[in-house]
Amino acid sequence: MIPGKGAITRRRAHVATGLLSAATIVVASLVQASLAGASSPTVIRAVGAENEYANVIAQVGGRYVNVTSIMSNPNTDPHSFEVSTSVAREIASAQLIVQNGVGYDTFMEQLESSSSNSSRKVISVQSLLGLSSEVKNPHLWYEPTTMPLVAQSVEHGLAKIDPAHGAYFERRLTTFDSSFVPLARAISVFRAEFKGVKVATTEPVADYLLKALGLDNVTPFSFQADVMNGVDPSPEDIAFQQKLFTDHIVKLFCYNAQVISPVTTSLRDLAKSSHVPVVAVYETMPVPGYDYQSWMLAEVHALTRAIERHESTTSL
Amino acid sequence: MVRFLFEPGLFSNDTVRTALLLGALVSIVSGVVGVFTVLRGQSFAGHALTDVATAGGAGASLAALSPLVGFIGGGVIGAGAMDAIGVQRVKDRDVATGVVLGAATGLSALFLYLITLQTTTTGSTQSILFGSVFTVAPSTVPDVLVLSAVVLAGVTLIRRPLLMSSISPELAAARGVRLRVVGLIFMVMLAAAVGLSAIVIGSILSTALLIGPPASALRVASRLSHALVLACALGVAATWLGVVFAYDSYYWLGSGRGLPVSFFVVADVAAEFVVVSLVAWRRRQRTTALPESLTVPEQVGWV
Repeated sequence: MIPGKGAITRRRAHVATGLLSAATIVVASLVQASLAGASSPTVIRAVGAENEYANVIAQVGGRYVNVTSIMSNPNTDPHSFEVSTSVAREIASAQLIVQNGVGYDTFMEQLESSSSNSSRKVISVQSLLGLSSEVKNPHLWYEPTTMPLVAQSVEHGLAKIDPAHGAYFERRLTTFDSSFVPLARAISVFRAEFKGVKVATTEPVADYLLKALGLDNVTPFSFQADVMNGVDPSPEDIAFQQKLFTDHIVKLFCYNAQVISPVTTSLRDLAKSSHVPVVAVYETMPVPGYDYQSWMLAEVHALTRAIERHESTTSL
Repeated sequence: MVRFLFEPGLFSNDTVRTALLLGALVSIVSGVVGVFTVLRGQSFAGHALTDVATAGGAGASLAALSPLVGFIGGGVIGAGAMDAIGVQRVKDRDVATGVVLGAATGLSALFLYLITLQTTTTGSTQSILFGSVFTVAPSTVPDVLVLSAVVLAGVTLIRRPLLMSSISPELAAARGVRLRVVGLIFMVMLAAAVGLSAIVIGSILSTALLIGPPASALRVASRLSHALVLACALGVAATWLGVVFAYDSYYWLGSGRGLPVSFFVVADVAAEFVVVSLVAWRRRQRTTALPESLTVPEQVGWV
């Protein structure tokens, strides 16, 4: 049956009143929320420059922290990240920030100084680890000892901003630390079994983890740095790298899936045709489905499978 | 001397061999097309096409296509646009070229920004603008080979009307040459040549290979065939020496770092131009006291 014209108008009127009242509720709750936010901050706004740091903040902060991450897209290269205005807004309103340093996220410092806030707590992982800016490999989160220190510093920061929930943050820090045990165990088991195994890499992203695992990364650092910085590696380095596969000098090829160039893809093809297993590693934490610990554990397992069963892991 | 020039492993290195082959092919195409470009006074158009090629290359990288497709596709579209705006009359030519150049460069900026937001490709700006013949995928070689053959065949096919319309458009028109058609075909050839040379030394620097060796050759050549051969020879010499120097530079600095091959190629092109200009100047001083303006119409005899 086709409704009459009157029915339509009436229905429109109903819809209109419905929308209006909904809008009133939304506006009222917004006003309420902003008033509440102004008087007593119940949820701390935090920013992790890279999503692996954001993940650690979330693990420690739990329900009293609202975390956003700046670099989280697995389909981009963080080394060539460009800042947008929404990033600037998030940083301006953040109360706690974790950033890497060592030139990896220089834009963070610039945005922080352009929106100065004396009560904001900024944790630079570089200074937390006492490193100079001359450190050549900025991928500090792959070092297995880094994140427990970051978590501790985050807990201190959160407890200072919101002392009422200090005990809560402390409990969550303890949980975080104990969740690190399986990873630490996996690393020491790997090390005992495969210490000194030769591997090749495209880029230094996972180098700290490879070193902790006792692996011998034989790719020249000049090659890795050239790929990281987006300039062309020299033909000598490319030839050296090719020989690592064709002469089967290395047991696996650690491939940065987020920093790709024609050189890295042609090397990956060569590794495949030479039956050298490829293991994908990432700049930022692959999402969804991983937290920092399970991500690192997955990488260790992928490396184990590559050495033991010659199995490639082309994506996590 | 030989050991000084050729560092160990130079000729057994696959990357270097591919670079030498590509460099030679592209230098020959650029040399041939470049001679006509300089004769027609379209060097600026050639440069603008490099900017359009940049936009094409960046667009191709964004769409995960081969850079060669982007360089040449962009160039051909740009050539069409310039022809539509009016590249035929000398007075309009600079305007058309300038408009296309500006628009294309803006588009490149947008594409290069989007690449950083949407892809894992690293160093796109560097590789598209300045290139590196060492990083060209070996699978590109057959494409370059075919395209080079097509461009050379195309130029050979229209060489008579092309030369005539380049040197004296009025004379050509009087003899029934369709200037517009010849001009458009040549612009497409030019776009293809720019695209090919963008693969080797990057889109921005591809003008160097297109204009440098032909300009040098035309300073001393007394016949078209001499100019063509000399332009190709100078181009091949510049790219090959560039490749060798770039390979050797790995050992010069002692830091395990080489210098960019595109720099060496372009530096060689510039050095050749200086040397050839000096030779031409000496020769002119010795032979005749004619003013320089009288030497250009001499080329009418080439038709």
